[in-house]
Amino acid sequence: MTPLLSARGLTMQYPGGVTPALDAVDLDIGAGESVAIMGASGSGKTTLLHCLAGILRPTAGLVSFASVQGPVRVESLDDGERSRLRREELGFVFQQGLLLDELTALENVAVARMLAGVPRGQAEAEAAQWLQHLGLAGLEQRRLGELSGGQAQRVAIARAQVTGARLIFADEPTGALDSATSVEVLDLLLAATQQGRTLVVVTHDADVARRCARTVVLRDGRVVSDTAAPAAAASAAEVSR
Amino acid sequence: MSITVPATVAGSRPAGALATAVHLAPLFARRRDGDRLATALPVAAFGVVTALLLVVLGGAQAFFQWDDELASTYATLAVIAVVLLLVPLATVGASAARLAARRRDERLASLRLLGATTGTITALTVLEAAVTALLGAVLGVVLYAVLAPLVGLLHFRGEALGAQMWVPWWWLPLAVLGVALLAAASAVVGLRAVVVTPLGVRTRQRPGTAHWVRVVIAVGVLVVGLGLMQVLGVLGEMGGIVAIVGTLAAIFGGMLLALDALGPWFVRVRARRQARKAQTVPRLLAARMVLEDPKVAWRQVSGVAMTSFVGVFGAVGLAMADMTSTEGMDPDERWLMQDISTGVLVTVAVSFLMVACSVGINQAASTLDRAAVHVSLDRLGVPRAVMAEASRRAVMSALWMVAGGSALCAAVLLFPLVGMAIFIQPVAIVTALAVFALGFLAVRGAAALSARLVPGILARPERAL
Repeated sequence: MTPLLSARGLTMQYPGGVTPALDAVDLDIGAGESVAIMGASGSGKTTLLHCLAGILRPTAGLVSFASVQGPVRVESLDDGERSRLRREELGFVFQQGLLLDELTALENVAVARMLAGVPRGQAEAEAAQWLQHLGLAGLEQRRLGELSGGQAQRVAIARAQVTGARLIFADEPTGALDSATSVEVLDLLLAATQQGRTLVVVTHDADVARRCARTVVLRDGRVVSDTAAPAAAASAAEVSR
Repeated sequence: MSITVPATVAGSRPAGALATAVHLAPLFARRRDGDRLATALPVAAFGVVTALLLVVLGGAQAFFQWDDELASTYATLAVIAVVLLLVPLATVGASAARLAARRRDERLASLRLLGATTGTITALTVLEAAVTALLGAVLGVVLYAVLAPLVGLLHFRGEALGAQMWVPWWWLPLAVLGVALLAAASAVVGLRAVVVTPLGVRTRQRPGTAHWVRVVIAVGVLVVGLGLMQVLGVLGEMGGIVAIVGTLAAIFGGMLLALDALGPWFVRVRARRQARKAQTVPRLLAARMVLEDPKVAWRQVSGVAMTSFVGVFGAVGLAMADMTSTEGMDPDERWLMQDISTGVLVTVAVSFLMVACSVGINQAASTLDRAAVHVSLDRLGVPRAVMAEASRRAVMSALWMVAGGSALCAAVLLFPLVGMAIFIQPVAIVTALAVFALGFLAVRGAAALSARLVPGILARPERAL
């Protein structure tokens, strides 16, 4: 099977850094998979996610993505093309949500569609459907400051999916949430994989990793294990400590 | 292996807030490479403020060096011009202070966590702002030395201002000190608006929402102004030129206060409408950015309110001056008519220059403050052009409204004269409109310039988050 996303020899050296943040990482992620990336602080988890998503350009190595328009080499795209890829084919749910404070919940989701040229009315109708689907009906006109952390993450999940993104990147999506809300948010993210989407989640939380189909563990920028959950999550939790 | 534990300083008396701040200030002055711009911008901003202040003062004092019978008229006109330029100058000063205060928050919170007292935090903030302003002001004196000879080329009473542009030497340290003190005061005011806790900095209250009561007050002032305009002739007969100039100054002042009261409310109402109707992302973001704090959006361009208001008066004045036959006038009176025209155009141009500086500085501060938002938008794949357009629109939409509203107010006050000027002296009106157009271009350019900070932010996104 051709992987949806593939990395070969991925290396990232930050300017002034003594050791590489990523050191020749190889990784294949298939369509519909849920993959947890674990590791101690500074192990390179977030850098890996940023390189896979085209946010950072790696120092060496390649990242292939099976775009709807055919396979693309993410690392060789220019800034504008990588922006288009992120806008149209990828979804993001980060710890801080990457939501815009000044917009309402509805607008935050609709903006993703408006950027694709969809008229505002239609974009907001689609956004409202997603918010309703994720249990936020009635909160559409609230600003972010008026939402709880869990509600804000639901808005981010709605935005990640409203564009029809096939691959969702989540960076510590439950990091700022209580345990009950974390379970709810993870349920929603994993539900996306039931609809054929692929989920790559960076986490410190063994409970989050345990619920993913696969766990990749990094240490000092290298992949030290890549196994099916839940057994992997237990040993990964040890590594993270 | 034995470990030597550093001796504690139990029992030592805590140092005073100012002394602690003085010790800490050099540590805080050391910035990371990426923050060099953030340090340089406020210094440059205070430099511009000081230079403009000295140029305006230099120009004004040049008008006080005559002692003939028209001296008092020139002096009065100079005072009016200075008063008119004070508001945009104050706006530039406030913008510089805001820029200096940006991103100090997290460092203050860290100090709080370490146990720093409110006194230490206040002293450190004031010290930082004052030192930044002091450096900038010294730079401003150098800039003044460059600008003064150029402005000195302007002709009044048939002669170039020349060396009269130079203020007495002892004004220079006073101006530097004054700018530093204003920056310190501004920093204290800024601190009063926030609560610094060990876990972060939060604002004491939500930004003002611009109440409709402002509209009632402003309309009241406008009506009084209109009434005074109607009796201007009577006042002139009773008190002569002094009464007319005094009344005009009072009307100017009242109108400017009215505009300041009205502005934020209008900005909010218009931005809400734009947010509802926006069909593109830049339009939606721009409207929401303005709605975030309409008072700030207003303040950024409020200098233009004054300029536009004065500009209409100026344009009509130019037209009237052109219509007035100079036959039968003595040479001094002819010069006066011509000098009024020059003075109006210079005042309007300088005012726009100040607003452009204010917008440039404010937008730079805003871009740096919103660094995390820019990074977020970039990660979501929002094109940089969309971000730049949203920022530019947020300024320009408020600018159009402010300029239009103010010009309309002035046109209402001078209604019959404006109509007459358009038909009889269209050239004077076109000249004034050209100055306006150039002013708008300058402001737009300043707004676009600050967008150039975005690539730098996106190059090191980890610093913004």
